[in-house]
Amino acid sequence: MKAAPFEYVRPGTLAEASAALGRDGITTAAIAGGQSLLPMLNLRVAFIDLLVDISRLEELRAVTETPDGLHIGALTTHAAIEDGKVPDLFGGLLRRVAGQISYRAVRNHGTIGGSVALADPAADWPGCLMALGASVRIAGRDGVRSEPVSEFVRDAYTTSLATGEIILGFDLPRPDAPLRWGFAKVARKSGAFASSIAFVVARGKGGPVSVVLTAAASRAHSCSQTAEQLEQGAGSDEALRRAIASDLLTFAQDADSYQQRLHTATILRAIREWRAQ
Amino acid sequence: MTDVTIDLNGAKVSHAVEPRQTLADFLRELCGLTATHLGCEHGACGACTVLVDAQATRSCLQLAVMCDGRSVQTLEGLRNDPVMDVLKRHFHECHALQCGFCTPGMLITARDILRRLVKPEAQTVRHELSGQICRCTGYAGIVDAIVAAGQELA
Amino acid sequence: MADHAASDGWIGARLLRKEDARHLHGHGMFIADIKMPGLQDIAFVRSQHAHAKVRQVTKPADAAAQVFTLADIGPLHILEAGPELAAHRHSPYPALADGRVRYVGQTIAACMQPTRAAAEDLADRVSVEMEELPVVVDCIAAMRQGSPRVFENWADNAFITSTVNEGKPASLASAPIRLRRQFRMNRQATVSLECRGSLTYWDHRLNELVVYLSTQGGHVKRLGLSQALGLPEHQIRVIAPDVGGGFGGKNRLMPEDIAVAAIAMKVGHPVRWIEDRREHLLASVHCRDHAYDLTISADKDGTLLGVEGDVYIDAGAYALWPTGSFMEASMASRNLTGPYRIKHLKLNTFTVATNKAPMGPYRGVARPGACFAIERMVDEVARELGREPFDLRKQNIVTAAELPSRTAAGMRLDTGDYIASLDMARQMIDMPAIRKRQAAGEADGRAIGLGFAFYTEQSGHGTVEWVKRKSRVVPGYESASGRMLPDGSVIFHVGVQNHGQGHETTLAQIAAHELTIDPSRISIRYGDTATTPFGFGTFASRSIVFAGGAVAKSCRALVEKIQRIGAHLLQTDVANTRVEGGAVHGPSGKISFAEIAYAANVRQEHLPAGMDPLLDATATYEPTETGGVFSYGTHAVVVAVEPDTGVVEILDYVVAEDCGTMINPMIVDGQVQGGIAQGIGTALYEEIPYDEAGQPLATSFADYMMPCAPEIPKVRIGHLVTPALATEYGVKGLGEGGAIAPPAVIANAVADAFRSIGASFNETPLTPRRVSEAVDRARRAKGAAA
Repeated sequence: MKAAPFEYVRPGTLAEASAALGRDGITTAAIAGGQSLLPMLNLRVAFIDLLVDISRLEELRAVTETPDGLHIGALTTHAAIEDGKVPDLFGGLLRRVAGQISYRAVRNHGTIGGSVALADPAADWPGCLMALGASVRIAGRDGVRSEPVSEFVRDAYTTSLATGEIILGFDLPRPDAPLRWGFAKVARKSGAFASSIAFVVARGKGGPVSVVLTAAASRAHSCSQTAEQLEQGAGSDEALRRAIASDLLTFAQDADSYQQRLHTATILRAIREWRAQ
Repeated sequence: MTDVTIDLNGAKVSHAVEPRQTLADFLRELCGLTATHLGCEHGACGACTVLVDAQATRSCLQLAVMCDGRSVQTLEGLRNDPVMDVLKRHFHECHALQCGFCTPGMLITARDILRRLVKPEAQTVRHELSGQICRCTGYAGIVDAIVAAGQELA
Repeated sequence: MADHAASDGWIGARLLRKEDARHLHGHGMFIADIKMPGLQDIAFVRSQHAHAKVRQVTKPADAAAQVFTLADIGPLHILEAGPELAAHRHSPYPALADGRVRYVGQTIAACMQPTRAAAEDLADRVSVEMEELPVVVDCIAAMRQGSPRVFENWADNAFITSTVNEGKPASLASAPIRLRRQFRMNRQATVSLECRGSLTYWDHRLNELVVYLSTQGGHVKRLGLSQALGLPEHQIRVIAPDVGGGFGGKNRLMPEDIAVAAIAMKVGHPVRWIEDRREHLLASVHCRDHAYDLTISADKDGTLLGVEGDVYIDAGAYALWPTGSFMEASMASRNLTGPYRIKHLKLNTFTVATNKAPMGPYRGVARPGACFAIERMVDEVARELGREPFDLRKQNIVTAAELPSRTAAGMRLDTGDYIASLDMARQMIDMPAIRKRQAAGEADGRAIGLGFAFYTEQSGHGTVEWVKRKSRVVPGYESASGRMLPDGSVIFHVGVQNHGQGHETTLAQIAAHELTIDPSRISIRYGDTATTPFGFGTFASRSIVFAGGAVAKSCRALVEKIQRIGAHLLQTDVANTRVEGGAVHGPSGKISFAEIAYAANVRQEHLPAGMDPLLDATATYEPTETGGVFSYGTHAVVVAVEPDTGVVEILDYVVAEDCGTMINPMIVDGQVQGGIAQGIGTALYEEIPYDEAGQPLATSFADYMMPCAPEIPKVRIGHLVTPALATEYGVKGLGEGGAIAPPAVIANAVADAFRSIGASFNETPLTPRRVSEAVDRARRAKGAAA
C-alpha cells in the first residue's frame, strides 16, 4: 500500500506555490497536513503528478483577532484549535469541534484549510464555518478574493477553488452578542467519519439562529425552517420535527427513514444543548 | 530523488529519497529503526506513531521529504526518557501488551497524553487513545497503565 | 519480574511476562523487521472481479522477468483441503490463478522489485484480460435451484451438507411453544494488527529453503509447503519470528505463502511479501458469515425441548489447507444446544461456496454464531412466556450434580458449576438495581437493557475429537524438548507458537513448578522447525493444556534422571532423596541441579555406571480424556440505546468464568478481556459487506470499524475454579472463550431494552442503522396492531 510516484516541490512563496499548482498538463495537488490526501495516495485511489508542499508558507499561518472578528490561517491545525491556541470568540464551539475530529495524531497535522479544501461531505469544519457565517479568503494569480464558506463548498469534494488558487484562511465575524451553540455528532465509532453532524448557533437570546446539518447530503446545508422555528421561540419537539422534515426534503431527498431519524435526532440533540446554554 | 536531512533521535541523518516515501518507510527501511510498526498505512491504527517536532504523528501519513529539517523521535530515541521509563514499567505491570505489535505506537501516544494532561482519568485516557488499535488486550491494561503512570508522574 | 517468592508456588502466580521487555524497548522482531541482503519485495496482481475467466495476462515488456504467473512458478501441487470426507467437494486453489478467479482479491500474478512501492508500480502495469461470469454472493441464494455455480463441475454450491438428528425431533411439532427465528452473523476479518507476511530464500550453503512466516504453527506449514512445492521436508525450514497476533488468521497455508516460496526457489535471492491492510481485509482469512433459520420448542413451564432448522455457512470460494471451514458447520451445530437439557435436535447444515474470500478459523470458531442463536432464542422464549430470561436459563442449564453430562449434540461437558456462574454474574451486575433503573427511565431518552449469555468452550481436545472431525492433520498431542545445560539452567523447545499468549511466561511457570527452580533460569523457545520438536502450533485454546502438559512431562523425565544422579552423588538410594529448591536432598546433605547438570553434561565420570550422559528429554502429551475439557462462563452486560440513532453504549460488562486451574491469573484476565473486545467487535462494529457484484465494501479501516479504547469497557471478571480431571494441574484452555458470548449478550441486552415493543435484534454487527431499524419496525408493528 504505497503511493504511486509523484514529483514534489516546496515553494518558498505563495506566488511560487500558486504557479506550481497551476502548471499545465499535469495533475497537481497542494499538501498541508496531508492527513486526508496521504491515505488516498497510499491506497492509490488518488494519483497526482506533482505535490506542492504549502505547509511552510507563513502567509497561511496567521491567526489574528480584529474588532470585526477572527482570521484563522489555513494551516492552523485541529490540535491548535483544540488546545485553545486560537482566540475563542465563539463560546468554545471551535475547541469542541476540533477535539472530536479523527484522532489526536491526525489533529496534530490536519489543518482547517485542508479540511475545507477537500470538502468531504462528512467533514466538520465546512458546516461549522457555515454556521458561524465565515468566509474563505483565497489567493490566486490575480490577487485575493473572499467567498462565504456556504458558497465556496459546491458539492462533494468540489469547491470554487480554481487551478492555482490557495486558501489563505477563514474570516469569522465577531458575534455581536455572546454566542450560544449546540453541537451533536454521530459516528459508527470514535474518530470515524461522521454519519450526521448538527450545529445550532445563535447570537444572544432572540438573535438570528443558524442550524447546519453535515453528512446528510453531498455538502453541509442550512436548515432554515428549523432555524426559523427556533427564532420564533417555537418550543414543541413536534413542531421542530416537522420543520426538520421539511428542511431535509430540500436538500436530502434521498435520505431513507433511518437517515431521517438519525439527522432529526442529531439536530434535536444540538438544539437541546443550545437551549441549555 | 530528493535529499532529506532529519534530526533523528538527536542525530542528523541524511538520505536521498523518493518523494513518495513515507516517514515510516524512511525510518524502517533506510534507518533500520523498526520499533515503528506499520499496521494499516492509512492513519487509522496508530502503530506507526512517532514524534515530529515533539508532536505525536502518524509516520505513515507523513512524507520523509516533508520532514526535511524537522526533528523526529522514535521509541528507540526515547530510551532514556524518564516519562517513558515510568510508562514502560506500568505497561509491564498492568499486562498492557500481548503480541507487542501495537506497543511502540501506544507508548509514544501514552507519553503524548501525559505530556498534555495531568493525572488523566480513565475516561479521558480512553478518549485520547481513540485511533490506537490493539487487537489483543481489549485496552483495559493499557488504560490502567497510563492512568497509573499519570498518577506517579503528577 | 514481580516480587514473587518461590515458596508461594509458581502455579497460580501473577508472574509478570518475560515477553514484555523486548516489545517495550522496541526490540520485537516481526517479519517486516528482518533485513536480508539482496532482498526484493513482492506485490500481487489481484482480481478486480468476483468471478471471471482470466483470458490473458500481459507483462510489461521491460519487466517481464519480474512478473510471475502460475506457469512461471510451477509445477506446483494443489493440495486437497477440507475434512477427509468423500462428500466434501474439492475446490482446487492454485497459488496464482489458473485461468479462473472466484473472488475479488484472488492472486493472479506476482511482481518483484527492490521495494514494495516499485513492485506495486509494476503490478499496476500488468494488464489482465478477463471475461466476467455470473456471481453468487449470498449463501442461502447459492443453494437455490439455478444459482450460478462457483465450480462448474459441482452439482450445487455446497462444499458439504450434513444433518444432525438426535432424540425425537418429530415430537416437537406438538410442543406448546414453538418460535421460529432467523439469525445472521455477518462476515468479518480476523485483523491481527500485524498482517501476514513471508520472507523466503534458498540457503545455498545448507541447500534448503528458509521460510520466515508470520504463522501460528510452522511445522504444519512446512508439511503443506513440502507437499505443494514437491520439496522434501528436511530441505524446508520454517521460522516464525515475533508474530503480531493471529486469532486463527495465520493458521492456514495461503496461496501467497506458496507463491513466495516458489519464486524464492526460482530467483535465488531473498524475496518477501508483507501483506498490507487492504490485502488483509480483501483476501486474508475471512470469518463468521453464519445464517440460521431455527425453531425452538418449549413447554409452557419453560422447559426447553428442542431445536430444529437450517445452518448455513458462507465458506467463500475455496477451502483453505488443511481443514477448510467445515468445522464451522459441525461446531455450530454441535454447540447449538449450549449447556441446556435440550433433548431433541434436527439440523441441516450447509457449507456453501460463494464468490467471496475463503473462510478460515477465527477466535471462537463457530461458537459465537451458535451461542448467538441459542442464547437469543432462550431470551425469545422467556419473552414469549413473560419470564425473566435469567430464570429460564437457570431452569434449563445442567447443574453441577448432573456433570459430567453429554449434550444432545454429543459434547461431553466435564466439570464445573454452571449455575454458580450464572448467579455470580447476576450478583456482579446487580440485576435488581438494573431492573429498578429501567423502570425509572432515563433522562436522556435512551433505553437501558440488561442481557445474559452463557457459553462453554471446548478446549484441549485430542485425537478422538479431531478424528471425529475428519481432520486432515490430527493435532492430538503437543511436544516439548527440555534440556538442562551444564550450569543447571534449562531451555525448552516447544511446538506451539506464542503470538501474544504469554507462553514464555506460563510454560516457564510450569517448568519452575516441576523443577523447583526459578523461572528466570528457564527459557521457552519456539517458532523454528529446525530446533523444535514437531508440534501443531497455537490455536483452538489448546496450548496451555497440551504444551503445558508436555513441558510438565519433559520436566518429570529430567527430574527423574536428576534425582538418580543426585542420589548417586550423595551416595544414597533414590528412595531416600527428594527434590526441592533446585537441589536433590538426601539424608546427609544436598546437591544442586547445577552440580548434577555439570556432571551429566561435561563430567560424565561422576554419573552412575552405565547411565547415558546429558539431561535431555523430549515428551509428548495428550490429556487422558480427548473429547476436550470445557471452560465456561456467564457474560452479563448493561447497555444504553438511543432508539433514533441506534447508537449502543456499553455501561457495564461482567463475566463469571471458570477455566479450571489458572497458571497465571493475570494472563487469564488478559485473554478474557481481549477476547471480549473482539467479541464486541463482532457484536457491534466489524463487517465486510459485499455488493451484488461480489465487490467487498470494507477494504480499509475507513469502512471496517475496529473498536478502540472508547468502544471497549473494562470488563469486571469473576472466577470460579473447578479443575479439569483429565489435564495436568486441572487446567482448561481459555483463549477463545471471551470472544464467544459478546454478540449474544449484547443482542440480548439491546432486545431487553425494547422488550416492551418486542423488537428483535438477530443480525450482527448491531450497527446503529440495524438497531434503529429494528426498533422502528417493532414500533410500527405495535402501532399497526393497536
